[in-house]
Amino acid sequence: MNSTVDEIAGPPHSVPFALLDEESKREIRRALLQAVCIPGFQVPFGSREMPVARGWGSGGLQISLAIVGVNDTIKVIDQGDDEGVNAVNLRRLITSSTGIEETSETDEATIVQSRHRIPEDAMASDHILVLQVPVPEPLRGIERNMKELERMHAEGDYSKMWVSLYEDKVRNGVITQTTGYPCLVAQRYVTATTPIPRWDIPRLHQAEFLTLFGAGREKRVYAIPPFTDVEPLTFEDVPFEVEASNGAKCRLCGSEETFLVETPGSESRWSCSDTAWCRRKRTK
Amino acid sequence: MGYAAARGGLAAIEFAENLVQELRDGHPSSPLETDQVTGRLRLLVDRVMGEAGLWAPEFTAQALRQAEGDVIEAVHLLRAFKSTLPRIGISDVVNADDMIPERRIVPAFREPGGPQILGRSTDYTARMLSTTPRETKPKVQPAGVTPAEESLDVIPPMQRMSDVLRDMQLLVDRRRTDDPEPFDITRMPAKPPAPRSARLSTMARAETGALVGQWYRNILGPDGYLHEVTLGEVRHGAMPITVTHPVTRNPVKIGEYRVTEVEAIEDLDGIDEDRTLFDIGYGLCFGQNERKAIAMANLDIACHRDGQRSELEQSILMTTDGLDSSGFLEHLKLPHYVTFRSMIERKIAVRQARLQTSPTESKP
Repeated sequence: MNSTVDEIAGPPHSVPFALLDEESKREIRRALLQAVCIPGFQVPFGSREMPVARGWGSGGLQISLAIVGVNDTIKVIDQGDDEGVNAVNLRRLITSSTGIEETSETDEATIVQSRHRIPEDAMASDHILVLQVPVPEPLRGIERNMKELERMHAEGDYSKMWVSLYEDKVRNGVITQTTGYPCLVAQRYVTATTPIPRWDIPRLHQAEFLTLFGAGREKRVYAIPPFTDVEPLTFEDVPFEVEASNGAKCRLCGSEETFLVETPGSESRWSCSDTAWCRRKRTK
Repeated sequence: MGYAAARGGLAAIEFAENLVQELRDGHPSSPLETDQVTGRLRLLVDRVMGEAGLWAPEFTAQALRQAEGDVIEAVHLLRAFKSTLPRIGISDVVNADDMIPERRIVPAFREPGGPQILGRSTDYTARMLSTTPRETKPKVQPAGVTPAEESLDVIPPMQRMSDVLRDMQLLVDRRRTDDPEPFDITRMPAKPPAPRSARLSTMARAETGALVGQWYRNILGPDGYLHEVTLGEVRHGAMPITVTHPVTRNPVKIGEYRVTEVEAIEDLDGIDEDRTLFDIGYGLCFGQNERKAIAMANLDIACHRDGQRSELEQSILMTTDGLDSSGFLEHLKLPHYVTFRSMIERKIAVRQARLQTSPTESKP
């Protein structure tokens, strides 16, 4: 019954399953449960320092590591690409610390961790989408004071946001918000949709899958549970616009119905941002 | 098929890792031992331990070596290492008066209660680059002082300047009668308005340069929330770390660590303040890092006097962590072509909207 300090501390330098110590993972899961219960509300949590820098997906990584089990399969994308170096790095961190399977096929994955995109493939209730969030506060562009921001969310006072959208429309003719378009989640909280393109916003509305958002540097998590209303903020007579591609096609798979990214200067300059989707379409 | 493709970027990453490792570890000079780092680069090790919030000289030396001397990267390695460790206990509360001092400066009085100890310091050494090889440099023999007089074996008790001012009835009494648990910034993010313990622990872990920059911005920059203070105490020394024995319930000393402690005396002159009194700001950080502790003490009292009127507290809490700021800055190197595509699309949309409202306007 006499335990030594060494016994309590465990073997030296052994890295636990999924990197984080168990208490930390439990703490993150508790924050996630709260986030699921209050859709769109930013839940503070004691974000840990990860083996990747803050701003490099440390929030998404903490979520993935907190929820991952031995039977999970992980897909990690950056800008829609499984082969992006940061996606590769995050994926190998997750697989090497857990031993779980990895995949680039969305339907094989149980957890999809992503930066800036939702995969083109439809996801269902057996998928969890984990989004890496640089700036979790959707109102920061219009208000810097954190106490005031807290009040605005608490009272649902989004008037400044509406004024800002109106001024944008009046000055520029269109609403110029690019990615990370502000959305009202479950008719309650205005929420930052990470910098996913506007193209992906409608796919969050009444989605079958659970989306978890992790902002490691700013120490916040939030969630959009399955079958939740996600409405981009816009006016009755100003329809929400996704990125226009004006008939552009992917030069590789010929697709017109995916989010395309641009290669400047080249003749056929468009290609699918979702590389796994594009590749499968070509090999079908 | 998807498997192989999913590994596309791995080779590049591994080559980059190898370049770092081979050029660092394969350098023809003799290998850098950790005791050289802890022994000869003490202030660097102290600074990194302070910013990491982890007292571990040996690990810090390893981190600095692995990071090729990059302070932020070394701090990152230590903090990420800490994330893998369970918290197995909490040490007992210590009294800063239990410090075994190596250095003590009281600028506010010529003869404070207890000694002024210059200690290990280059404050009054000419800043001349020493170009003589180390071995041939003769040791300076202090004039007219015998070794016995140098000895610090018996240090007379040091009277804390805040106590002196309190005895003179010149100090605002802000001592609390309750004893709240300190805010643990490693378990909950602090946000304004935060308890003082959250501000102090944030600053204790802050990046040294960020804190000094924050301080100087307030001296000469556009904000100007703070006064230049008079320093009451600048102390550096060893503190005991004790834990309660799980069986006997007695305190057991399990080690020690060094800290720098600063008291900054503030000359109150605000309209809502008592002009007859002083107030005190407090700074304490791991190791010998006087710059940081002084900035911290001055910002502590500035933040208290500011009383939520300005954004100073938010600035301290949110912008001084080295890993936060550096990580976010460096994330700009990541691919951003999805967001950038969306930006280009909106530029074109604005242009088209303009053409529709004023078709005569020629294309740029």
